[in-house]
Amino acid sequence: MKKRRSNGAGLGHGKSERFLKTVAVIVSLLFAAVMLYPLLFAVSSSMKDNTKIYEVPPKILPDSANSLTMVFDYSGMNFESDEQQKDVMMQDSVLSMFAINYKMTQDSIMEIHVYGVKDGKTMFHSRAHQMKLQMERDYGIYKSSAVKKEVLLHEERYSRACESIGYEYDENGLDVKEIKFSQEMYDKVEDVLTEGFGTTGALKGTETHVNNLLNLESFRYYLEMPAYIYPKSERIAKLGFMTFVLNSVIVIGFAMIAQVFLCSVSAFAISRQLSPRAGKAVLLFFLGGMMVPFASIMLPQLIMYRQMGAYNNYLALLLPFLYPYGFYVYLYKGFFDQIPGSYFEAASLDGAGSIYLYTRICMPLSKPIISLIALQTFISNWNDFFWAWLVTEDQKLWTLNVALYNISNNMGTKQNAIMGLSVVTITPVILLSILFSKQLKQSIVASGVKG
Amino acid sequence: MRVTEKTGSNKKSNYILRKKLTPWCILFFPMAFTLWLKYYPIFSAFFISLFKYDPINPPGKFVGLENYTGLFGMQFYWEAWQNTFIFLLLQLGMCFLIPLIQALLLNELVRLKKGLTTLYILPALIPTSVNVIIWKWIWHPDYGVANQIVKFFGGEPLSWLSDPKLVKFCIIFPGVLGGGLMVLLYLSAIQGVSSDIMESAALDGCTGFKKIFYIILPNISFMIFIQFIISVITTMQLLDAPYMYASGGPSGASTTQGIFIYNAFNQDLNYGRGSAASVVLLLVIAVLTMVQMRFEKSEKE
Repeated sequence: MKKRRSNGAGLGHGKSERFLKTVAVIVSLLFAAVMLYPLLFAVSSSMKDNTKIYEVPPKILPDSANSLTMVFDYSGMNFESDEQQKDVMMQDSVLSMFAINYKMTQDSIMEIHVYGVKDGKTMFHSRAHQMKLQMERDYGIYKSSAVKKEVLLHEERYSRACESIGYEYDENGLDVKEIKFSQEMYDKVEDVLTEGFGTTGALKGTETHVNNLLNLESFRYYLEMPAYIYPKSERIAKLGFMTFVLNSVIVIGFAMIAQVFLCSVSAFAISRQLSPRAGKAVLLFFLGGMMVPFASIMLPQLIMYRQMGAYNNYLALLLPFLYPYGFYVYLYKGFFDQIPGSYFEAASLDGAGSIYLYTRICMPLSKPIISLIALQTFISNWNDFFWAWLVTEDQKLWTLNVALYNISNNMGTKQNAIMGLSVVTITPVILLSILFSKQLKQSIVASGVKG
Repeated sequence: MRVTEKTGSNKKSNYILRKKLTPWCILFFPMAFTLWLKYYPIFSAFFISLFKYDPINPPGKFVGLENYTGLFGMQFYWEAWQNTFIFLLLQLGMCFLIPLIQALLLNELVRLKKGLTTLYILPALIPTSVNVIIWKWIWHPDYGVANQIVKFFGGEPLSWLSDPKLVKFCIIFPGVLGGGLMVLLYLSAIQGVSSDIMESAALDGCTGFKKIFYIILPNISFMIFIQFIISVITTMQLLDAPYMYASGGPSGASTTQGIFIYNAFNQDLNYGRGSAASVVLLLVIAVLTMVQMRFEKSEKE
């Protein structure tokens, strides 16, 4: 290389080539950075807390998450009964949790522990994540009500809230680690509690520490969130966001199986049993069907499906995949054409029927193309939105795209939760596509051969 | 008795008949469903467009071509076409060339090539709904990053998706990052350029950017044209993205043909007009598809 560069012409070439390479590296990396930005932005936003997400200017990284522990002392207080003692502790717990969550929004408190202590024994413990409290406030027990002492403790609400959050109570004392009090937030917490959220027990002390894993725990509550937003639907109340994941899996899985089967059967008949001319005509018939744009037939299609009763049920979601996509038939045909004819002749002489030829000869040989078609079906259909949106009124039928669109249009939903659900949606796909990047690339290139 | 005599020839003709019939038996189900699910709606669209359609008592009153004349007299309809064409220009201006540039540059890389192609595909696999969520937040007038950047350069904050002038740009721009599939197709086309040509060009002193302009681009012009037509066809059908970003608004500025059809039957309950618009759109796209197929055919020969 060095030798070549020393002569005049070679020097020029080397330079221009090197210049191009440098430009290519820099610009490509720049593109990559720009492309990654929205993804990283989504991940970072999804881990921000409910206040920080609305901070201007938006920070790139989420703040570190704090865990706050409050200990209330009931020593020297006499309660009529054990029940009442528990009740008071529950009231204090709910009161302090929601007060802190409401008032101390700037401190990134993602987790609140409340302990009730009496005569040296820890009797009560409850623990809540910020997202849980927020969901109860936005959609749950305290939906559209003000955060005030009277409202929080109104009737049986506090005990329902406590049940939902989860607590432990034992009058003989719970096993808990010793808590080392710190002064960091004590004054602030005390101020909040004395200003309108007076608790029965005396605030003995507080403890804070940083635990960034709490930011990740938010995702657990994001997944539960649809159950809070749509409590009337039984399935969503049970499965939460997984309902929509499941629907998408059903639809895409069905599409993949239907396409692999229908296209291969059609291609088998076209390639092996029809004359070339008839085969071409049939192939064109299928290709033409695929090229009909969705936008121009959605209205008659909707009317037709409605008349059949395929509306607001799985039939409406699945039926559109029950015809072979012309392009996949074309790919299959190209593949079957390459199988040596002698295989089929030999089998036919032995008296093999069409079913045998298809299941025993074509299918075992066409493993690579099956994965290609399945992948291609996935890529082109998991983005489908409009049809699913047109035919589903019932929330439990929503696919991921429809659900994300509806949840994001729900005014009350916090942006970090929406981002979190988006991240949950795309993460598996991104991981899988990195894992199977080779097959994916092959499949995309194969689809471009025809265009 | 006669039967046994004839079995020989019967068997043969039976065999031929069976051989001829089996493929059609196999194809019956797929073809019938294609006819039913894909071709029938086209005729149905044309049929409905001739009526003042009554969904409760179909098909309603026959009005001939009145729906079409009414449609062509609507200012809103022409605005929808205008929007579609502006979308098309934006799409071609912003999203069509960038994948080509990316592919040309990727081809020059050695070690980074594999990793970066994978990275480029990822945004293309993100569904529109997620893209919309992320970008709506970026365009948000109060909390979004876009306005922070504008402010950083000393500009006045803009209202992005709520601004009729900017909304089209805001909808198309995210596509700049999502052209990964096209990058891959271009890349495979570039790698398909025969190495003989490349080597002889290099010997003649055609390297660096010259190589790109004089050797690679002319050799993949076929792929570029195909991608161009496909871009045009997909943009004509634009429906999901403008609907999810802005529901066709503000004040109809992002109403494409697809959204116009949807609004015709969903808001105005005018099925006839919606079908008429469907038929017109179908014809336009059919012509474009024909051009594409004609071109592909000529290229093959």
